[in-house]
Amino acid sequence: MSVVPLRFRAINQGTLAINDCGRFFLASDNLVERIIGDDLTQGDRTELSRDGHFFSQDDAFAFDAHAYGCASRWDRAGELDYLILVPTLRCNLSCSYCQVSRVGLGRKGFDWDAETLGAILNLIDTLPTQRIKIEFQGGEPSLRPDLITAVIERCERFEHKQFVICTNLQDLSDDFFAILTQPDVYISTSLDGDVDTHAHNRTGAGTGQFLDNLERVLTEFGPDKISALPTIDPQNPPAIDALINSYASRALHSIFLRPINYQGFARKQHSSAREQSTEWRQFYERFVRRIIERNWADREVVLEETYFSICLRRIFQPGHDRHVDLRNPNPIGVDYVVIDYDGTVYPTDESRMLTRSRIIDLSIGDIFSGWDSEKRQLLNAHATNQFDESCRRCAYQPFCGRDLVDDLARYGRIDVERTQTEFCRRHLHIFDLIFEMIYSDDPAIQYSLAQWLRLPSVPARFGIRL
Amino acid sequence: MIPLSLPAASEATRPYVTRLRVDPTTAIDEADAILVVEDEEGPSFSGLHGLLTLEGVCADALEGDVVLVQPDIGRAERLLRRGSPHNTLLVTERCDQLCVMCSQPPKKTHVDRFAFFEQACLLAEPNIVIGITGGEPTLYKDDLFGLIERVGLARPDIEFHILTNAQHFEASDIDRLRQDIFRRVSWGIPLYSHEPARHDEIVGKAGAFDRLQSSFHALLLAGARIELRTVLIQDNIDDLPQLARLVTSRLCFIESWSIMQLEKTGFARNRWVGLFADHKLSFEPVATALDYVLLHGKAVHLFNFPRCTVPAEYRALAPASISDWKRKFAPACATCREQDQCCGFFEWHPDEHANAWISPL
Repeated sequence: MSVVPLRFRAINQGTLAINDCGRFFLASDNLVERIIGDDLTQGDRTELSRDGHFFSQDDAFAFDAHAYGCASRWDRAGELDYLILVPTLRCNLSCSYCQVSRVGLGRKGFDWDAETLGAILNLIDTLPTQRIKIEFQGGEPSLRPDLITAVIERCERFEHKQFVICTNLQDLSDDFFAILTQPDVYISTSLDGDVDTHAHNRTGAGTGQFLDNLERVLTEFGPDKISALPTIDPQNPPAIDALINSYASRALHSIFLRPINYQGFARKQHSSAREQSTEWRQFYERFVRRIIERNWADREVVLEETYFSICLRRIFQPGHDRHVDLRNPNPIGVDYVVIDYDGTVYPTDESRMLTRSRIIDLSIGDIFSGWDSEKRQLLNAHATNQFDESCRRCAYQPFCGRDLVDDLARYGRIDVERTQTEFCRRHLHIFDLIFEMIYSDDPAIQYSLAQWLRLPSVPARFGIRL
Repeated sequence: MIPLSLPAASEATRPYVTRLRVDPTTAIDEADAILVVEDEEGPSFSGLHGLLTLEGVCADALEGDVVLVQPDIGRAERLLRRGSPHNTLLVTERCDQLCVMCSQPPKKTHVDRFAFFEQACLLAEPNIVIGITGGEPTLYKDDLFGLIERVGLARPDIEFHILTNAQHFEASDIDRLRQDIFRRVSWGIPLYSHEPARHDEIVGKAGAFDRLQSSFHALLLAGARIELRTVLIQDNIDDLPQLARLVTSRLCFIESWSIMQLEKTGFARNRWVGLFADHKLSFEPVATALDYVLLHGKAVHLFNFPRCTVPAEYRALAPASISDWKRKFAPACATCREQDQCCGFFEWHPDEHANAWISPL
């Protein structure tokens, strides 16, 4: 008995054959027929066995090496070492597609009280790891530099620490600026494109002030201090070059394109965002192709679309990514949690928004009594694509993930047939696009792929053809 | 060269292991010997086994060294040098392979020094990696595993790197190798070709490739950490691209792959012309292999590759790999600005070759 653990998918250049560990080749029509017809030649067997696409069931080493390859595709969520903290829900802006829910600047009772802060500091003291990442979300966390400072000071003991403050940079108080001078503190902010687009979407008359603050932070600390992301309205997307220029001109080379999310307050005002349209995918593809052209034209700078790079690396380099939006299994409430202004614990930021929008209560506990709840266990029993009937037939399963909260947000349930979900359509599109590029002969495409994979030079080929 | 074996005069009659202490306040173990005097005869240390006088090295350079004193032959061997990243214990000179390029040709007899090595490991400075080599250490598998287990238990800060031909691992070793202590052990295992016949020919042992596969299987099931090693010679340099495919598929569980340039000593000394594969002239098979494994996210290194002989884009993969005590730079290297990042040459490498080969950066 022999094992041929291959699944197939048609792409523009032919038939892609991917094995269960994620190693792949582009198969000729004749070879596909011989594989399906169980009619392999000795030459086929030798060639296929080189990459583990074929082995005899008696070959226990090959079988176990294959099992190892499959297992290395699975995420093993470790100890809790990533906290997303919401010190206040108050915000000084009210963007039309606010993702995170916010309340007015002067409202009382929407900041951590002393008891909540104490419980969070206690939690930090009891974490068993030597590594910590803390992201401050809001609301606008910079309204409470005192709370941010209290948390950062409590993390002194960790060997590796990173703090990311998600801020709109609208007001840069002295206290907040002082926090930014610490080398392990980073900023994540929104920059929707050129001045007009950003003003229209977000900051209106205050746009000048935001841009001045962005400039000041960039000048003072350099571009490595900041990651920025644009939120895109697919119905009215910005001009691609203007968008790229607004980033490249600030030496911000990693751009994470984000379509308006069908969550939080955005749900009310942008109901068309439930499904990402073909317009969004066309825009996304045009954007990626445009940065490939620009990278080729100017080799001094490597621009990337962040999520494209993440997906690309997942294809070739299992286990190298800790991006929690795309992993499998994708358990919740294990290695990272969100702690809200009132101490409520959520599995993800999206689930916080869903709960606050009263769509579904996805809180899994609170900082005072813990979150090892029945609800968490129930969700985690389904947090994998491993046993999904559609995913098991999909060639891209080894690279893909599972996002329960996204399903709940869009459909209110998690048992919608996988191929009918936005998560599936989005990833089929992106993986198809990547494989088309992997088998492209265009030197500009190959150059960008090599850069995004952080390779020292452009390989003669990215994918084997058999 | 840093001398590893020193002339020694000792009051003792039998061999013993001691740790040398220049600063008496650092002496914390009864096996410590403390400096009492340093005069024209050299530094003298006093410890449990009486007085010990060493020649040829000043006392300060010996602080913290763990030495094996052999009164019968009047020598002291510096087993573990403090602060050196290259401490290696040679546990046997016997081997059951006869690799064509072997830098340390095997001998027939075995001198059992495991007990001394164990004492030395227990006295090692904190947080060091101890190398174990041969000959073939796993010919004495039980002694070796025992040493690792006992030292590992007593010294949770110590890690081991063990060079082995992996001809002796069995399914029955798996449970033992699954113990936590073996997470701190990395096995350096040579594989010279994806073609069984070529590998067997290079290691001088029929069936070695197949035996290696069954050891790999046992090590995979044990969750062992493996550094795969491939020494380049003319016979295998063109196999690198296919070897790279093997490394990312059937051997996907290895931790890293080291591609190593030849060391002109041992058997390679007289066979140099027929063995040495000049990667500077034909880097293509090396580049193809590097590209392939890096694409697939595997760690890969070029050991004993002088930086200037490697194309600029791959230099980051060529660390200063040659052990401090046997590294030198050729006269032509004098003007190079990247010596501190470069492996340089083995002490015994002929300068004429090095001078003609390199192009200082």
